Amino acid sequence: MSNTPNTSQSPAVEKEGPITRLLRATEIDARILGMAAALLVIWAGFDIYSRLFSTIGFDSDGLIFGGSFITPRNLWNLLNQTASIAIMSTGMLLLIVMRQLDLSIGSMLSTVAVAIGTLQVFRLAPALGEGNRAIWIIAVFGALALGSFMGWFNGVLVAYARIPAFIVTLGGLIAYGGLAWAIIRGETVAPMDSTFELLGGNVPQYSLGVFWSWVVAVVAISGIVYSIWNSRRQRQRFNFPLRPMWAEWFLGAAGSVMVGLLTWVVTIYPWAPNVIKQWATDHHITVPAGIEDKDGNAICMAGEQMVRCVHGYIVYTGYSIPFMIAVGVGLAMSFVATRTSFGRHIYATGGNPEAAELSGINTKKLTVKVFILMGFLVGIGSIITSARLNAATNSLGQSNELYVIAAVVIGGTSLSGGIGTVSGAMLGALLMQSLQSGMTLLNFESAFRDMVVGAVLVAAVFVDQLYRRSVK
Amino acid sequence: MKNIVKAVMLGALAATAMGGVANAAGKTIAVSWKTFQEERWKGDEATIKAVVEAAGDKYISSDAQGSAQKQAADIEGLIAQKPDVIMVVAFDADAILPSIKKISDAGIKSIAYDVQFEDPNALYITFDNVGVGRIMAKEVLKVKPEGNYAFIKGDKGDPNATFLFQGQLEVLKAQMDAGKIKNVCETFTDGWKPDNAQKNMEQCLTSTKNKVDAVLSENDGMASGVVAALKAQGMAGTVPVSGQDGDLAAINRVALGTQTVSVWKDTAQLGKAAANAAIALADGTAIDKIPGVAKFNGGKKKVEMNAILLAPTPITKDNIGDAIKAGHITKEQACAGVKDNAACK
Amino acid sequence: MAKRTAKKTALKVVKKTPAKKASAPKASVAVARGTPLVEMKDISIAFGGIKAVDHASIDLYPGEVVGLLGHNGAGKSTLIKILSGAYKRDVGQIFVDGKEISITNPRDAKANGIETIYQTLALADNVDAAGNLYLGRELKTRLGTLDDVAMEDATRKVMFKLNPNFRRFKEPVSKLSGGQRQSVAIARAIHFNARILIMDEPTAALGPQETAQVGELIKQLKAEGIGIFLISHDLHDVFDLADRLVVMKNGKVVGTAYTKDVTHDEVLGMIIAGKCPKGAIPGPGALRDAA
Ligand SMILES: Nc1ncnc2c1ncn2[C@@H]1O[C@H](COP(=O)(O)OP(=O)(O)OP(=O)(O)O)[C@@H](O)[C@H]1O
Ligand SMILES: [Mg+2]
Repeated sequence: MSNTPNTSQSPAVEKEGPITRLLRATEIDARILGMAAALLVIWAGFDIYSRLFSTIGFDSDGLIFGGSFITPRNLWNLLNQTASIAIMSTGMLLLIVMRQLDLSIGSMLSTVAVAIGTLQVFRLAPALGEGNRAIWIIAVFGALALGSFMGWFNGVLVAYARIPAFIVTLGGLIAYGGLAWAIIRGETVAPMDSTFELLGGNVPQYSLGVFWSWVVAVVAISGIVYSIWNSRRQRQRFNFPLRPMWAEWFLGAAGSVMVGLLTWVVTIYPWAPNVIKQWATDHHITVPAGIEDKDGNAICMAGEQMVRCVHGYIVYTGYSIPFMIAVGVGLAMSFVATRTSFGRHIYATGGNPEAAELSGINTKKLTVKVFILMGFLVGIGSIITSARLNAATNSLGQSNELYVIAAVVIGGTSLSGGIGTVSGAMLGALLMQSLQSGMTLLNFESAFRDMVVGAVLVAAVFVDQLYRRSVK
Repeated sequence: MKNIVKAVMLGALAATAMGGVANAAGKTIAVSWKTFQEERWKGDEATIKAVVEAAGDKYISSDAQGSAQKQAADIEGLIAQKPDVIMVVAFDADAILPSIKKISDAGIKSIAYDVQFEDPNALYITFDNVGVGRIMAKEVLKVKPEGNYAFIKGDKGDPNATFLFQGQLEVLKAQMDAGKIKNVCETFTDGWKPDNAQKNMEQCLTSTKNKVDAVLSENDGMASGVVAALKAQGMAGTVPVSGQDGDLAAINRVALGTQTVSVWKDTAQLGKAAANAAIALADGTAIDKIPGVAKFNGGKKKVEMNAILLAPTPITKDNIGDAIKAGHITKEQACAGVKDNAACK
Repeated sequence: MAKRTAKKTALKVVKKTPAKKASAPKASVAVARGTPLVEMKDISIAFGGIKAVDHASIDLYPGEVVGLLGHNGAGKSTLIKILSGAYKRDVGQIFVDGKEISITNPRDAKANGIETIYQTLALADNVDAAGNLYLGRELKTRLGTLDDVAMEDATRKVMFKLNPNFRRFKEPVSKLSGGQRQSVAIARAIHFNARILIMDEPTAALGPQETAQVGELIKQLKAEGIGIFLISHDLHDVFDLADRLVVMKNGKVVGTAYTKDVTHDEVLGMIIAGKCPKGAIPGPGALRDAA
C-alpha cells in the first residue's frame, strides 16, 4: 500500500488480461458487468431449456435459441413486471447505503393503493363524473403525497425519536397492513379510472409505439455520447488522466448497441390479434385481404370476415409506460446518488455516520429526507401496480419489501452501508424477476421457484464478497 | 353497513322460516366465540341471535378473545348456566376437546360451528370446501366443455388451495381422460395475491401463445389478476374465469362478463342453518334426524361425525339479482359499467 | 464576518476576564494582548457519572499555538470536541472574539470559523479524498450538480502541500495508509480558511518528512494569524511549536504556562503528578500543596 504512481501508467498494466484491461480502461464497475453477464446466462438458459423441454409443443418467436424466453413478448412482459420493484429498489438502495432499512414498504404500497383506489372509484368518480380527466391526476398526486407522508412519518420516528429503523418499519409493516385492511375491509376496488389504468402498461394501445420508441432510443444514444464527451472535456479542463480513446469509443458503441437492441425487441412485439382487430374496427382502418392462418399475429379480411393471418395489418407495441417511468426513476436516482451533494451525503453517512455528522451534515434531516424519498417511490410503485392490475386490494404489494431488499442486495449493495449503486439494484430486480418469470413460464413448481430465488440471493452475496476480498 | 342490512333482513327471514316449526319456546342456546377481532364473527352472531330469539329461545354467549385457555373457562361458565345446546367456534381444535367432553358429561348437546373439532357426539356445520372447487369447474365447464385449461391455484402453504384443485379435477376428470381438456398451466400463487396471479397468467399466456380457453382461478382476488392479464391480450370476456368469495368487484366482473362465476359462501346462510339445528337439538330432535345431516369423516383424525355441509352459491350472470336482493351488494356496485345484464335493467 | 464581531466586542471582553484570585496575573496578560480568539469558560461534561471534563477553562489568541497536554483519558479530546460541536457541554460558556456563542453541533462551530482535525480523523471511508475534503460543503456547477473535477483539482493542490507523493485521488480513503488518511484530514481542516484550528494529535501516524511538513504548516498558519489548539503527547513537538501550554489531568486543568517559562521536566511533573511549577499559573486541577 505504498504510494503508487499515476494509475494509468502503472507497470502492472502489462500483466493484465484483456478483460481486466478493458474494465480498467473503461472504468466499468466489474460488479455490474458480472450481473449483466449472469442475467444473459439466465436468459439463455431459460430459452434453451424451453426449446429442449417444451411439453406444449408450440412454435415460438424465439430470437436466438428458438425458445420461449428470449422472445419480444416475454422480454416486454419482463420489463413491465419488474418496473414497480425496480423503482422501489432505488429508494431502498439509498436507505441501505445510509445504514437504514424500510420493512414497511409492502404494507405502505397496499395502503396507498387502496386509498387512491377508493378515492377514485368511490369519491372522485361519483363527484366529477366517470372518466373525468382530473381523476387520474388527483389520484397520482394523492399517491405520491400519501407515500411521501408515510415515509416522512417513518423517518421522523427513526431520526428524531431515535427508534431503530428495523423496529419502526417492522411496526409499520404490521400497522400499515392493518390500515390498508381497515380502509377497504378486505374488499377489492375495481376497475380504476380508465386513464389511470394506462399508467400500468396493461393496455398495449397506449404504449409508445414504434416511432416514439425509436425517438426515445435516439435521445438515449445522444445522451450517452454527450455524457462521454462531456466527462472527457471536464477531465481535459483540469489536465487529469484521460481514458484511452478506444475505451471511449467502446463505451459509446456498447451503450448505443444495447439501447438499439432493446428498442428493436420492444418494437417487434405486436399487439395481440384481438386487440388489433378491436383497434381496426374502432378506427375504421381498412384491413388488407388475405387467407386465414391461426398462427399469424396480423389480421386480414377473408371475404367479409376479419381473421388472423401472417401478412396483413399489424401494430407493434414499443416501450411501455411503466418501463419508461422506471427508466426515468433510474436515471433520476442515479443522478441524485452520484451527482448531487444530497447523494454524496447519503453515501458518506453510510460510510461513517459520525464523520458525516462531524463534517457538518445534518444526518437527522438527511435520514428523514431519504425516508420521504422512499415513500415517494412507493407511491409510484403503488400507482403502477394498481393501474396494471386495474384493481386495488389490501393484499397488493404484501411482501414486496422482501423482494425489494433482495434486489438491492443482489445488486451488490453492502448491508453494512456506504456501498451500492442504483443500476446494480435495478439490475438485481430484473435478475430476480427473470428467475421468477422464467420458472413460471416453464411451469416449474412454485416451491422450486422459491428455493432457487432464495439460493440465488445468498449466492449473489457470497460471490460479491469473494470479489471484494480479491480486489482488496 | 352491509352487515346491518343483512342482519335486519335475516331477522325477517328467520321469523318466517320458523313459523312452521312446532317447538317449545324458552330453551337456551349458548355460543362460545373464538374472537370478535375478526369482523365476520360479529355478523354471524347477529344472524344466530336473531334466529334464536325469533323462535322464543334465549341466546347467551362468550368471547374467548383469541385464547384457548379463556375459551375453556368460558365453556365452563356457559355449562354452569345450564343451556340446552352449546355451539363452539373453536380457537384451537385440539385443545378444545376436554371442554367438549365436559359439555357432553353435563348432558348438553354441542355443535362445532365452522371450525371442526373431532368429537363423535358433536354436530359439525360448515360449507363444503371441496364442493367450492367442484362448483367452479362445473360452471366453467358449462361454457367451455373442451380446450386448454389454466389452473391458477392459491398459496401453496394453504391446504384449501389443494382441496379446491382436487374438487376441480373431480369434475373435469372425464373430459381430461378423454383428451378433450388439456391442463396447459398449473401454478400456485404466493399469498393468493392478485398481482402474483397476474404475472402467473401473463407467463401462462406467453408460454402457450394465448392458446388458453378457460381459467380456473381459486378466488376472486386472483381472478382480478387473471382478467387483467387476459385483457392485455384482448381476451377478457371470451375466456371463462372462475373465482370465489363473492367479492363486490368480482360480482361486477360477472355482470360485465369478464368473470364467469364467483362461488359465494354466504355466512349468513351458515349462521341460519346452525341456529336452526341448535333449536332442533334443544327441542330434543335426534342429531341424525336433523334435516341435511350426513356422516362426515374428512377431518385430520378421520373421526366420524354428524355434519351439515352447506353448498355454497355460485353467482353467475344469471343470478346476480339474488346477491343484490340478499343485500350483499348494491345494484350500483354490481352493475357499474354493465350494459346487457337483466338484473341491471 | 468574524472581523466585524471582533471590533464590536473588544471592549466587553475586559470585564469578562476570569476573576479568580490565582489567575490575576493571567488577566493582566489578557488585557495586554486584547481579545482572545476563543475562550472556553468553566466547561464541564460528564458521561454517565464520569466527569470527562470538570470545570475547565482555556483560551486562545490570534496567531497563537496553545499545546494541550495530559495523560490518556485526561479529557483533552472531549474538551475540544465541545468546541468543535461534537459534544454538548453540561455547563460552561464559549466566547469567540469575546462574544458568547452557542455551539450545539458541528455546523455551529464551522460557522464560527472553527475547523478540527479529530484524533479519529472522522473520514467517510467509502468516499475518496476530494469527497471527504468537501464533505458538507461541496462545490457545485452552475446547474447545482457536484463539480467533482473542480473538487479533485483543488484537493490535488492542497494535498501537494502536505504530501507531495500522494496520487490516489480516485480511491476511497479506506484504501489509504494511516498517514495518507491523516493528510486528508489535515487538508480538510486547513482548506476552508479556518480562524481557529483544532488539531488532535495530527502527526500521530505521519512519517518524519510529513511531520516536518505539518510543523512548517503550523508556523505558516500562525503567521497568518490563525489560532491553533494542538493536542500532542510529543513534548518536543509541543515545545517546538506552541507558545503556551495547558496541562489537563482527570478532566481538570492543572495549569497554564508559556513554553519559555517551563522546562520539559516541569511539564512532565504537571502531566504525571499534577504539580504546578513556578512559571505556571495553576488551575483547579493542581495539587494543593504545590500551588
Ligand atoms: N463518548 C464517550 N462516552 C463515554 N465516555 C467517554 C466518551 N468520550 C470520552 N469518554 C471518557 O472521557 C474521558 C476523557 O476522554 P478523552 O478522549 O477526552 O481523553 P484524552 O485526553 O483525549 O485521551 P488520549 O490522550 O488517550 O486521547 C475518558 O475517561 C473517556 O473514557
Ligand atoms: Mg484524545
